[in-house]
Amino acid sequence: MDQIGENYLVFAIACLVLALVMMRLLLRERITLQGSMSYLAFLAVIGLMAVFPKTTTMVANRLGFTLMSNFLFCTAIAALAILHLRALVTLSKVQLRTVVLTQELAMLQEKLDRVAADQTQRRSA
Amino acid sequence: MRVLIVVPAYNEQEALGGLLAEIRALDIAQLETVVVDDGSSDRTADVARAGGARVLRLCGNLGIGGAVQSGLRLAEREGFDCAVQIDGDGQHPPAELHRLLEAMHADDPPDLVVGTRYRDKAGFRSTMMRRIGSWWLRVILRFIARVRVSDPTSGFRLYGTRALRLFSAVYPYDFPEPESLALARVAGLRTAEVAVTMRERQGGTSSIGGFSAMYYMLKVTIAVVLTYVRALGRKPGNPDGSNR
Repeated sequence: MDQIGENYLVFAIACLVLALVMMRLLLRERITLQGSMSYLAFLAVIGLMAVFPKTTTMVANRLGFTLMSNFLFCTAIAALAILHLRALVTLSKVQLRTVVLTQELAMLQEKLDRVAADQTQRRSA
Repeated sequence: MRVLIVVPAYNEQEALGGLLAEIRALDIAQLETVVVDDGSSDRTADVARAGGARVLRLCGNLGIGGAVQSGLRLAEREGFDCAVQIDGDGQHPPAELHRLLEAMHADDPPDLVVGTRYRDKAGFRSTMMRRIGSWWLRVILRFIARVRVSDPTSGFRLYGTRALRLFSAVYPYDFPEPESLALARVAGLRTAEVAVTMRERQGGTSSIGGFSAMYYMLKVTIAVVLTYVRALGRKPGNPDGSNR
C-alpha cells in the first residue's frame, strides 16, 4: 500500500464522510439504492485515489498528466458530468411519467364526478 | 359527427364564461366541451362548470401542451370523430368553428386543420414581434420539416381521428403548435389550413413575452430540427413517433 500523505488523508476522509452521509440517506429511504450506485462508485474511485497516491500518480503520468491535481480535477469533472447526465435522464423520465399520471388522474376524477352526479340525480328523481 | 371542443385554460376566469356562452350558442349537433384547467389558482374550474362544460382539473401546471394533450386523450378514448382546440383566453371566436368543420366535409378530409389569421388579413393578427417570430417559424417548418403553413403558432385547430391517435401518444409539452405540425408531417398526416378571424385575448395575461419569447423561438427551432432528425432514423410502421 502507498504511504498516505496528510493532504491525501483529508481527501480520503472527505470521501468517507460523503459516503456515510449517503448511507444515512439510503437508510432513511430519502434516496434509492439504484439511483445512488453510480455516486457511491464515484466516491469509491476518488477515495481509492487518495489512499493509493503513488499508483494514482503513475496512472496520471501514463495518461500524460504532468500535474497530479490536473488529473484529479479532470477525473472529478468527467465523473460529475456523467452523473449529471444520468440524473437528467432519470429526471426527464420522471417528468414524462408525471405528465401522464396527472392527465390520467384528471380524467378519472372527471369520470368519478360524473358518476357521482348521475347517482345524486337518480336518488332525487 | 361527434365533436369535442378542448379548451386549455390557465387562470382564465375572466374570459372563460363568455367563451363558453358563445360555444353554447353554436348550432352544432353532437358537440361537447371540455375545459382543461391547467392547475389554475383562480376560479377557472368553477366558471367552466357553471358554463356547462366538462372539466378536467389537472393537479399541477403541465403547460399548454400537457393541457391540450389531456383533452385529445379524452377525445380519442371516448371515440369522438374529431376534437377542436379553442384557447381559453377567448382569442378564437367559436363562431369561426364551422370553417374548420367544413374542411372535414371534403371528399378526402385532412387529418389536421389549422385556422390561420394571416389569409383573410382581417381581425386581430398579433403584435409585430410575434409576426416576425411567426415568419421565422414558417421558414423553419418550410425548409426543415417541409410543412407549408402560414400561421404555425395558431392554436385554433381541428384534429381528426388519425391526429387524435398520434397526439394522444406523443405531443410536445411546451410551445407545442409549430413542433406538432412537424410531428404530423413526419407521421404522414395531412394538414390543411383555413382562414379564420381571431381577436385579442378577452382577459388574463399571455405567458409568452420578454425573455420567454426568445426562449420560445430557440426551443421551437431546435425541436423542429430534432423532430426531422428523429424521423430520419425511425423504423417504418411506427407512425406515432412513440418509442413503444
